[in-house]
Amino acid sequence: MAKTKTAYKVPVLTGEIKVPKVVPGASAYEKMYHGENDDMTALGFPASLEDGWETKAVGIFKQLLTHNKALKDYMDICVRCGACTDKCQFFLGTGDSNNMPVGRAELMRKVYRYYFTPAGGLFKSLADAEPFSERMIKKWFTYYYQCSECRRCSYYCPYGIDTAVITMAARDIMDGIGLGQKYSTQIINKVFKIGNNLGIPPAALRNTLDDLEEEMKDATGKDVKIPMDEEGAEVLLVPPSADFFAMPHMESLAGYAKVFYKAGISWTVSSYASEAANFGMFIGNYKNTKEINKRVWDEARRLKVKRVIVGECGHAWRALYNYSNTMNGPFDFLDNKYRQPAHICDFTLGLIKDGVIKMDPSANDDKIVTYHDSCNVARASRIGEMPGGQFTVPRELIKACANHFFELRDGANRAQTYCCGGGGGILTDEVMNVRIAGSMPKMQVIKEVMDNNGVNFLALICAICKTQFTKMYPLYGFDAEMVGGVHQLVSSAIVL
Amino acid sequence: MVDLNFLSGVYVLLTYFAGAIFIIGVLIRIIVYANTPMPVKIPLTPAPLTKAGSVGRVASEVLLFKSLFRANKPTWVAGYIFHVSFILLILLHFARHFVYHHPLPQWYPVFVDAGIFFGILMFLSLFYLLLRRMIVDRVRIISLFSDYLILIILMMIAIAGLSMNFLISAHALTKIDNRLDPFINGIATFHPINIPANPYFLVHYSLILLLVIYIPFSKVMHFVGIFFSPTRYMTDNPEEERYYKPDAEDLSL
Repeated sequence: MAKTKTAYKVPVLTGEIKVPKVVPGASAYEKMYHGENDDMTALGFPASLEDGWETKAVGIFKQLLTHNKALKDYMDICVRCGACTDKCQFFLGTGDSNNMPVGRAELMRKVYRYYFTPAGGLFKSLADAEPFSERMIKKWFTYYYQCSECRRCSYYCPYGIDTAVITMAARDIMDGIGLGQKYSTQIINKVFKIGNNLGIPPAALRNTLDDLEEEMKDATGKDVKIPMDEEGAEVLLVPPSADFFAMPHMESLAGYAKVFYKAGISWTVSSYASEAANFGMFIGNYKNTKEINKRVWDEARRLKVKRVIVGECGHAWRALYNYSNTMNGPFDFLDNKYRQPAHICDFTLGLIKDGVIKMDPSANDDKIVTYHDSCNVARASRIGEMPGGQFTVPRELIKACANHFFELRDGANRAQTYCCGGGGGILTDEVMNVRIAGSMPKMQVIKEVMDNNGVNFLALICAICKTQFTKMYPLYGFDAEMVGGVHQLVSSAIVL
Repeated sequence: MVDLNFLSGVYVLLTYFAGAIFIIGVLIRIIVYANTPMPVKIPLTPAPLTKAGSVGRVASEVLLFKSLFRANKPTWVAGYIFHVSFILLILLHFARHFVYHHPLPQWYPVFVDAGIFFGILMFLSLFYLLLRRMIVDRVRIISLFSDYLILIILMMIAIAGLSMNFLISAHALTKIDNRLDPFINGIATFHPINIPANPYFLVHYSLILLLVIYIPFSKVMHFVGIFFSPTRYMTDNPEEERYYKPDAEDLSL
């Protein structure tokens, strides 16, 4: 823990989201720890910042500009209309103008104009152009790690300028000169070395699965199994590793297990690909993203499964849904009757609709449920066949499992959802005040349904959202047990 | 280029220069955007599942400013009025070339009044956008010199254009009108003749040349860039159709 609990600035919840007064530099004090030498080199980056980094940074920047259409376009076309200025949860929470999407992007555009536009070279200050400098790279390191890559700004931008693209490029440039972030680089290194973000070795994983099996046996009297590394199973399930160890994530793992048990479909998790999450995406690095993604496909081949199903994890779903085919596809070795990969919610809802499994929603009658759309599911991927399935499928599933469901306010929901405040590789304690500030808008609308409808359960399909809200709820004065997965509801409601 | 006076010589050269800069600048930009690969799919979802759907999505942004409408209604109103009046004014100026023949059609005064109407609208919407930049603290803090510069150039063009209708005599205006078509014809056929030498006209014309030269180096290039924004034009079909760009060289997402 970087700070004691009393040092945190927790906003008062009123149910309203007010646009704060603009204070440049208001959240400049919150900084990430620098990447450690071992982790940086393991990921193929220089261990630390070296002399002459400016030239190197310009070189990487130039390469990205010539090989990434979105970055090049988004450097050029912003007209600073201000449409995005009141849309980012980190600006709404901190009031820092560098956390307005355009403010964040301008940190990079200043450098872009200096090196890559004629006006920037000729009339530096009139063109608002600035070279790489100690001061500038420090700002980059601060503010490109106060963005959760949630793309809410892109939804409102008249040109669709995607700050996630800019943030990813900035992080890639910084990693390329040896200025990495400890949290993400450490986690990626763990995935490469051990197989998952949490660094759980296979034996320990089997142990915890045995414990969970026992718990389910005690609770239900049924032999619900969680198979590991079983060749020839029908389904390879790839959950975020938090589902194996963290609470309330494990409740969802129990939910998946019961669904497979009741449907009689053979399945397995893998100790090698025991992680759906892909932090390579957070740092914007293609090579690392591809490597992590490849583990899932290698394992699907090795275990000779017919289907790959992804657990409740937001950005993992984006990485597997959007990038798999590009990076490591095509999926011709899997059964092409099904969507590949499939989302666990799609899978479970399909079984309910086909009558294969039955739910007793009264089992969740103690819960009044609301649902938070996780950003990477809502704005960067799709579930099921129809556009917008990422909104309807989880909601239908919740309604099949619980009788009391209330929507959050329009404008903070579906494609307009606010980020939980912990996504995009910033779910780490050294920037706790930024996480708290970023969670404020969503907490306000949750507070609204708590007051108006007595909501006492927040259903999620993202491991990061679950961890973040479990941490935020007590800080704002709520019980952390009011947070859980959609498959936690499935777990209680399924008729075994 | 015979019998040109000095002033006309300068303006003719400037006109060709501005035209060349504009055309080359825009072409380069289109070529660069079109040829830069995008390594991965990044449509902002929910996104259309078909190419036709994506075309519709981009069209709704270009023609209706759909996202800006969702983001900020007053800015949308002012921005939309400005863009529509600006486009209409450009079209009216071109149309004038085919309308202004002797005898003048009966509805010619209506045609002129339409121009004046949209000129005033354009000025007012720009004025609102300028005020907003200076007053709303969130927008003031992100505004750069170039953001003010383009607003001021456009407002000066509008004022200079309108001034010809309000500040000079009908006789002088007719004189400009009569000499403008032959001048433009001369430019277009590469047989330039003397420019109408009225100072109001020359200010209006000079500012437009300045704008045309400035556009390829400015944020006005968003009129090209909007067609190349991957979050908007990409189709949501990563499984159905493999998207693979080896020339993106696996550099960044």
